[in-house]
Parts: sequence; structure tokens; C-alpha cells
Amino acid sequence: MTSETLFSLRAVNKVYDGGVHALKDISFEVHKGEFLVVIGLSGSGKSTLLRCMNALHRPTSGEICYRGRDIAAATSREAREIRQRVAMIFQHFNLVPRTTVLKNVLTGALGRTGTARSLVGMFADEERKRAMRFLDLLGIADKARHRADQLSGGQQQRVAIARALTQEPEVLLADEPVASLDPATCHTIMDYLQKVNRELGITIVCNLHFLSLVRQYASRVVALRAGELVFDGQPADIDEAWFRRIYGEEAKEVHVN
Amino acid sequence: MSTDGGRGGLAKGVVFDAILLAYLLVLATVAAYGPSPEQMLMLGRNSFVGLILLAASATAALALRRAGVATVGSVVFEKGAAPKSGELRPWYRSFWAWQLLLVLGATFYVGARETEMSLYELTDEAGFRGATNLFRGIFSPNFAILPKAVLAIIETVYIAFMATLIAVPVAFVLSFTAAKNIMSRHPATFAFYVALRTALNVSRSVEPLIWAIIFSVWVGIGPFAGMLALMIHSIASLAKQYSEIVECVEDGPIEGIQSTGASFIQTIWFAIVPQIVLPYISFTIYRWDINVRMATVIGMVGGGGIGTILYQYQGQAMWPEVGCLVVVIAAVVWLMDTASAYIREAIK
Ligand SMILES: Nc1ncnc2c1ncn2[C@@H]1O[C@H](COP(=O)(O)OP(=O)(O)OP(=O)(O)O)[C@@H](O)[C@H]1O
Ligand SMILES: [Mg+2]
Repeated sequence: MTSETLFSLRAVNKVYDGGVHALKDISFEVHKGEFLVVIGLSGSGKSTLLRCMNALHRPTSGEICYRGRDIAAATSREAREIRQRVAMIFQHFNLVPRTTVLKNVLTGALGRTGTARSLVGMFADEERKRAMRFLDLLGIADKARHRADQLSGGQQQRVAIARALTQEPEVLLADEPVASLDPATCHTIMDYLQKVNRELGITIVCNLHFLSLVRQYASRVVALRAGELVFDGQPADIDEAWFRRIYGEEAKEVHVN
Repeated sequence: MSTDGGRGGLAKGVVFDAILLAYLLVLATVAAYGPSPEQMLMLGRNSFVGLILLAASATAALALRRAGVATVGSVVFEKGAAPKSGELRPWYRSFWAWQLLLVLGATFYVGARETEMSLYELTDEAGFRGATNLFRGIFSPNFAILPKAVLAIIETVYIAFMATLIAVPVAFVLSFTAAKNIMSRHPATFAFYVALRTALNVSRSVEPLIWAIIFSVWVGIGPFAGMLALMIHSIASLAKQYSEIVECVEDGPIEGIQSTGASFIQTIWFAIVPQIVLPYISFTIYRWDINVRMATVIGMVGGGGIGTILYQYQGQAMWPEVGCLVVVIAAVVWLMDTASAYIREAIK
């Protein structure tokens, strides 16, 4: 890759308060424009990794540099600035219930809107337009006035993507964005992420469970096993042997169509 | 976690058993000695005896625990602690059942004596005649004082309304700082949380009646004293109820809003507030409803409103006038109760 480096992780360790060593000496880089997929068994540390990259968690040691700034050493104000540029979506969508879709999407603009203005709901007109544009891009503009908790899972994830896009991010972290969706909807969401990646040029780091999806969408793959980075390469390189090393000897591949 | 809870339950169970046992021993000692009223008032000596009995009970409770006997303490506090032998014994062959029966029986006996329960008093002829008089008065209300009663109850409703209105914003702000999930992220905020919780619990355990007495001395008898009393109580109660709602909110939306780069205040406003408004409104209406009822009682100790004139009439045994007030109070309380139930049902 010749394009510029967005993230560079060096010897990142994360030990939770309970003593779980979730990340062990992780080092890799994320380049602009990539669709990087993180794979690994349940509990291997994928979510922890993404949360550290969004500054929701702090690594115990090591360096996570985003455009040369160390997230691990950021003040809380700097962490908020980084979060604006590094948006995140979640397996359970994490939308705000009892709140309209449009308002949910507008919360993506909170980082740019002053606290006082945002508390009285004074979002700039251009923010509203931007929010509607992204809802349109994701094909749910007609749901703008609906309550977010009354939408289907796939629609909620699209709202979450629209919220993330409203942040005008450079990177989108996706923590198992399709794990609670049916196979068809799963592809819809992955297609939207691909669209975001290709048309808006937003770099994507995405946790996934199914290798078939990985082969279809990823431009690069890293694999975690018990908190350690065990693979960094092209999706096509994950053969039978690698598969067993990542997922264990007993594992069998499952397909999503 | 599970072993920790188990150990805590164990200690609580032993303490509970010790207290039950000490209680029985104290009753038995009093019964056996039959101390004179003067002796009953000798605080130093009596608490010394009490402590000795407590120590003896604690030893006994520990011994029971060691022997693995299923006592009331172990049944209540050690949930999931499976009985060691004879799981399906009938209740009358279990230790805890007899322990409980003994405590309840003794309490009922002593209680009957303490409250001077007496069928004779209840059926005494002179007393009965007095009661008949009272009822006859109340059931033929003197509606001549109706305008006065209505004006007074309007005052009462406003006392309750103002107390609630002022308490709501204060309790709203306090509720976030009294919620464990928000405050436990940092040692300093956690210390604040503990201090605030304690202060709220203390002020809540002081009855509004006492607050009314305090304020009627402070600002003088009248509606202002009653309003202040209810306000203090409402702040403490609402802050507690509100903060419990905050503690039950989903974490997902909080994380979602935080991940956008929102500030702490924005996170509370956009992720937590939407989840809590409806239960907040519901509790607030209920609080107003309670305050109307309490305002009546508080009026009797100098808090203004209809309670104050109720107190005057009953002091002069003017039962028909009291009857009129009772009708007005009942009507308004019923109205408030029904209305608040409807509204709370509608916004659920
Ligand atoms: N907040 C936390 N506190 C303590 N331990 C945690 C916390 N979050 C995760 N862990 C632990 O860290 C390890 C890695 O968890 P993580 O959620 O990152 O795994 P994951 O790869 O995302 O798994 P899954 O595929 O099931 O989502 C696990 O052992 C987990 O129990
Ligand atoms: Mg996960």
C-alpha cells in the first residue's frame, strides 16, 4: 500500500480491571481507503480493539496513533475530537429509543454543535440537510419522523450508519454490524458499508464473524486469537490451514448466502 | 462474585439470627424479672444487660450456623443455599418455622399489652355514646361552611402544587449525581454520590410532619411553612426515585452517543433523558397526588390550608363542620387520585 497511514498501533495491550488480558502486543496499521476486516473467535478481543481505536477504552500500554496523535495519551477533549473523526457503529445499533430517526442521526453532529445550542435543539440548517441527505443515501428518508425503536433491525443499522456519516468521519469502525441481522439484510448492510467505502472514500474497520462475507467485502484482513494478532494479509490468503490456526482445529466454516 | 455474595449473605444471616434471639431473650428476661417502671428507665444498666444478651445470642447464632441448622437468617439471606439434609421436610419439622412462630407469637403477646388492647374500652358505654355523637355529626355535614372549606382546599392544592413544582428541577439535577451508573466512573464523583445519597436518605427519613413543625417555627404558621416542608420531602423522594430510573437506563445508547464525540452533558441529554422522561412525568404526577394528601395532614400541625381549619373544628368538637371538611377532602383526594392514575396510565 502506498496510500497514507491513518492508524498505527504499536504493542497495544489492554488489561481489564477484572484482570482479563484482552489485547496482547497488537501492532498493525490502517491505511486510507481500506476496507479492513477484523476476524477472530468470540472473546478474542475484536470489540476491545475497536473501542480502543474510538477512545472509548484506553489501552493499558502501547500506542494507538491516529494521524500521528496518540489516542492513549489524549485528554478527554482530544478524545472527543478524535471520536468525531473516527465514527463507530455497533452490533445492537445503540440508537436512542423514544427518539425520532432524524434526531438520532442529528446526534452525529453533536461534536460540532455547542453544548448550549444542542440542548435546546438548535442544530444548524446545514446539519439537518446533511442528516436528511445521508438518510436518503441509505434509503430510509421516509422514516425520518418515525421513532427509532419502532424500526426493524436492518433499518436501525442504516440509521446508525447515517448517524456515523453525519459526523463527517474519516474512518468508520463497525463492531459486528450484521451479527444480529438475517442473511439477506446482512448483505444489504454490507453493501451500504461498501458504498460508503467506495463512494465517500471513508476508511472502514469492521469486525465480522463469517468468512464468506470477509472474502466478499474485505480489502485486507487481520485476525485475532486470544488477544494476539495472528494474521495480517489478503482475504484470499486465508486457506484451510490459516482457518484452523485462527479458529482452532475443530472449527468448520459456515456460509452466509 | 457468587462466593462474595454468599459470604455477605452468611454474615447477614448470622447477625439477623442473633438479633432475633437477643429480642426473645430480652422479652424473657423482662417477663422473668418483672422490673418496676423505675427499673425500666435505668438506661445504663439495661443496655449493659442487653449487650450481654446480644453477645450470648451471637454466640448461639454462630453455633447454629456451624451446625448447619436452617435458621430464619440463613433462609432469608443465603438464597440458593440448598438445605443440607431432608430437602423436602414438612415445615413443622424445620427449625426456622418454629423460630419464626416463636418470634411472631411473643411479639403479638407483648404488642397487645403495649398498645393496651381492650375489648372493654371498645364497648364501653360512655365512649360509645361519644363516638355515636361524632358519627352523627359527621354524617350530617354542615354545608354552611362549604365556601370556607373550598377556599381552604384550594390553598392546600396550591401548597402541594408549589412544593412539587419547585422540587422537580432540583430533583432532576440531583438525580444524575445520585445515580450510581453515572457517578461510579471516578473516585471523586463516587464520593460525591455516596455523600449525596446519605444526605437524601437522612432528609427523607425525617417525616414531612417534622419538617412542618420546624418550618412553622422558622417562617411562622401558615401555608408557606407547609409548602417548604413538602418541598424538602419531595426533593428527597423524587431525587431517589428519579435516580433509580437513571440507574436502569440502557447502556447502548450512552455508548452510541459517546462514540460520536459528544460531551458529558450532551451524552446525558441525548442518550439518557429520552429514556427517562416518561417515568419521570409519571412519578412527578404521583408525587403531586401524594403531596395533596400530605398537605392536609401537615395543615394540622401549622402548615396552612384545609388541615388547619380541620384542626380547629375538631378541637372544639364541632362535628358537623368537620363532616363538611371531610367530604371536601375526600372529593378532592379522589379526584386527584383518579386523574393522576389516568394520566399515568395514558403515558405509560
Ligand atoms: N468491559 C469489560 N470488562 C472486563 N472484561 C471485558 C470487558 N469487555 C470485554 N472483556 C473481556 O475481554 C475479552 C475480549 O472481549 P471482546 O468483547 O473484545 O471480544 P470479542 O472478540 O469482541 O468477542 P465477541 O465476538 O463475542 O463480541 C473477553 O474475555 C471479555 O470477557
Ligand atoms: Mg464483540
